[in-house]
Amino acid sequence: MQLKQTLIIAFTLSILSLTTWEVFWRSQGVYPTLDDNEALWANQRARVESASSNNILLMGSSRVLFDMQLDEWESETGIRPIQLASVGSSPLPIFHDVVNNTNFNGTIVVGVTPGLFFSTTSPEAQPWQWPQSKVDYYKKRTYAQISNHLLSLPLQKNLAFLSDDQGVDGIKLKELVAKINTGNRVVDPMPPFHDFGEIELDRNLKMKQITVTDTAYANSVIKVWQFYMKGAASGPPPDKASTMAFFLNDLKIIQARGGQVILVRCPSSGGLRAGENMGVPRSKFWDDLVKQSNLKAYHFEDYDQLKDLKCPEESHLSAKDAQYFTTEIVKIMKADGSLTNLKTN
Amino acid sequence: MLFNSLSFVVFLVIILALYYSKLFSWTGKKRMLLFASYIFYGLWNPPLVILLWISTIVDWITGKKLSTEGNQRKRKLWLLLSMFVNLGFLGFFKYRDFLLDNFTAVVNTYGYGYQTQPMNIILPMGISFYTFQTMSYTIDMYLKRTERAKTFLDFALYVTFFPQLVAGPIVRAQDLISQFYEEKKATINQFIWGLFLLTLGLFQKVVMADTLLSDTVDKVFVPDKILNFWDAWMGTLAFSGQIFFDFAGYSTCAIGIALMLGIILPDNFKYPYGSLGFSDLWKRWHITLSSWLRDYLYIPLGGNQHGIVRMYTALMITMLLGGLWHGAAWTFIVWGGLHGTYLILERLQRQYIPFKITKWNGMFLAFTTFTCINITWVFFRAREFKTAWNMIGSMFYLNPEGEKVLGSFDILKVGIIIGILFLCHWFMRNTSVEAVSKKISPIALAVVWAIMFFLVVIAQGSGEQFIYFQF
Repeated sequence: MQLKQTLIIAFTLSILSLTTWEVFWRSQGVYPTLDDNEALWANQRARVESASSNNILLMGSSRVLFDMQLDEWESETGIRPIQLASVGSSPLPIFHDVVNNTNFNGTIVVGVTPGLFFSTTSPEAQPWQWPQSKVDYYKKRTYAQISNHLLSLPLQKNLAFLSDDQGVDGIKLKELVAKINTGNRVVDPMPPFHDFGEIELDRNLKMKQITVTDTAYANSVIKVWQFYMKGAASGPPPDKASTMAFFLNDLKIIQARGGQVILVRCPSSGGLRAGENMGVPRSKFWDDLVKQSNLKAYHFEDYDQLKDLKCPEESHLSAKDAQYFTTEIVKIMKADGSLTNLKTN
Repeated sequence: MLFNSLSFVVFLVIILALYYSKLFSWTGKKRMLLFASYIFYGLWNPPLVILLWISTIVDWITGKKLSTEGNQRKRKLWLLLSMFVNLGFLGFFKYRDFLLDNFTAVVNTYGYGYQTQPMNIILPMGISFYTFQTMSYTIDMYLKRTERAKTFLDFALYVTFFPQLVAGPIVRAQDLISQFYEEKKATINQFIWGLFLLTLGLFQKVVMADTLLSDTVDKVFVPDKILNFWDAWMGTLAFSGQIFFDFAGYSTCAIGIALMLGIILPDNFKYPYGSLGFSDLWKRWHITLSSWLRDYLYIPLGGNQHGIVRMYTALMITMLLGGLWHGAAWTFIVWGGLHGTYLILERLQRQYIPFKITKWNGMFLAFTTFTCINITWVFFRAREFKTAWNMIGSMFYLNPEGEKVLGSFDILKVGIIIGILFLCHWFMRNTSVEAVSKKISPIALAVVWAIMFFLVVIAQGSGEQFIYFQF
């Protein structure tokens, strides 16, 4: 066998094909992005172990990820929060983990997306299972997994074809294959879901500009929210009693050791807001949570400078509005005396 | 550490650089390989390296005693000590909860209301593989079938050699330790061929098993679903492909990596889905485990030397324990029992209705064998019996109104992949990748290699664990 010759040709062909693949995807508008995976989340969770009472943790669903901008928070307070929010998730599993598995006694900002916060405490349900899988990954991650992630970061930052865009925008081989659709034997009722955010190393996430400039793109995301709303309407009702009890129980523990918790309701708009008002009305859910927890709480509708913010896809703020929202909400919190652990003022 | 991970790429490059540098003597290189093997294992869970050390020390001392001790009774006691430690680890870490659950269930049928606390013990990766490997050394020493390892370093490296540490091939002492006695260096051709095998193994794992088949399997093997005939069959066929590509992929990687170091590991798979019957299957599927079970279980139980009843009993016990080796669950025992039944039926057929295998009926026989194997895979993959029975019912058209969960493309994809897999195994059953590669032009081989590498890279596997790591 002339294996040397084979190796040289195979190596050359591999480099050529991978270069072509990279150039092709860049020509299609794909650019390098980081994967918001369990490993990226675990890196932030690890920071909590050494966090002091001056630190701030952000928890919640995607609205906290999109709407709370770390740069603005830092410039207002001198402290860069640790971003632990998780898309499509109830904040309760992550709150429970931090309360029960760390000695953290700083400030925790909990984003309340009522449809998720009050959804369930069932471990099998998606809003619980997704964040819990992150917590479990952190607890069980191996040194090999840590080093794999560390080694993957320079590649993720520089190669477009490693982009981790999900759904219809996915370009992994598995996702390309999944897009091949023949026949209608089993119809997937889920509308095409565009990836509309991009994340940084410390999990600061911004909405992609195309969501703001391309109405069709934003509307496609709205259709996905409508799909979920329909599913929620026909599914089990919110489990307010058990979620509230679960949260209040953990709240007592962290307050007992000097920790502080703040509730925030981030903006939503349009049909989604109307749907939320019907399915999880403020008076019955948010107001009762604030009353029972007796916490400092900030609802976007209570502030003139925030109540008219429009979300391009009805659920999350554009990068520019998120910067504004963060700056304003932090100012409100400061004025209210909620943020006492400031480095600068 | 997983072969399909970036850490391993870096690890392997460093190991190869050190191995082929002039920094170390041969003993130094072996020490480096041993240290690297502990790193390879320890990056998963450092404390569990201690188990490897205990196994290594106990079996080294046992081997030393067995080589010098003349008293048969004392020799037996040394062997029993080694078996107690190795099987004790296996029993504690792998079978404790299973045994306790069954004990509790039996006791509670008599109304005792006994309750146990699950210990949630971590299953040390590859424990079934390395305990079987190191036990083969002490058993062979006891039976005087192998020489004692010359040095502790050689023996420790035999137990821990990283390419095959966590999922085989399960190598016998005489086949591996002797390779450590003299300096090994791969020839250029061996090195490049090893690299090719590593790519082929990763292609099997990352592209075929994880990218193309795993989702279909996961959609189908869901508890409480009564499936349509086609979905049940296609899910099962997809699993037959997934488990082959996953496990054969690991073995191919292991053989390739060892070859890059100049070490030869035995084949573990020889186109098993082209088997003509079940005796043939077990000479082609997980060969190093089936030969281990044959030599250390089936033959000591009497083999075929003590009449038909004893032979069938030995065969069934061997296969049931072989099933249990794969996992602490009754579904695995049923899987082994089915294979035991197949082997007994095959022997009865050979005795009472023999026929000559020709090229005409051979493919039909291979197809029938493959179909029967698929029935067993249902029990292997299903987490509980209810899921397995639902699947079997659907496969035998007992649930004509069953749910459809696979799209048309899923069915087409699995059909094409498994069809090609079966034909490939049939036509390759008497040859090898190496033999075929010698017949084709270097350019054609390079193109195949580049395509595989390209697909591995663009598949961007998320480092899925190999299925057999859990065994």
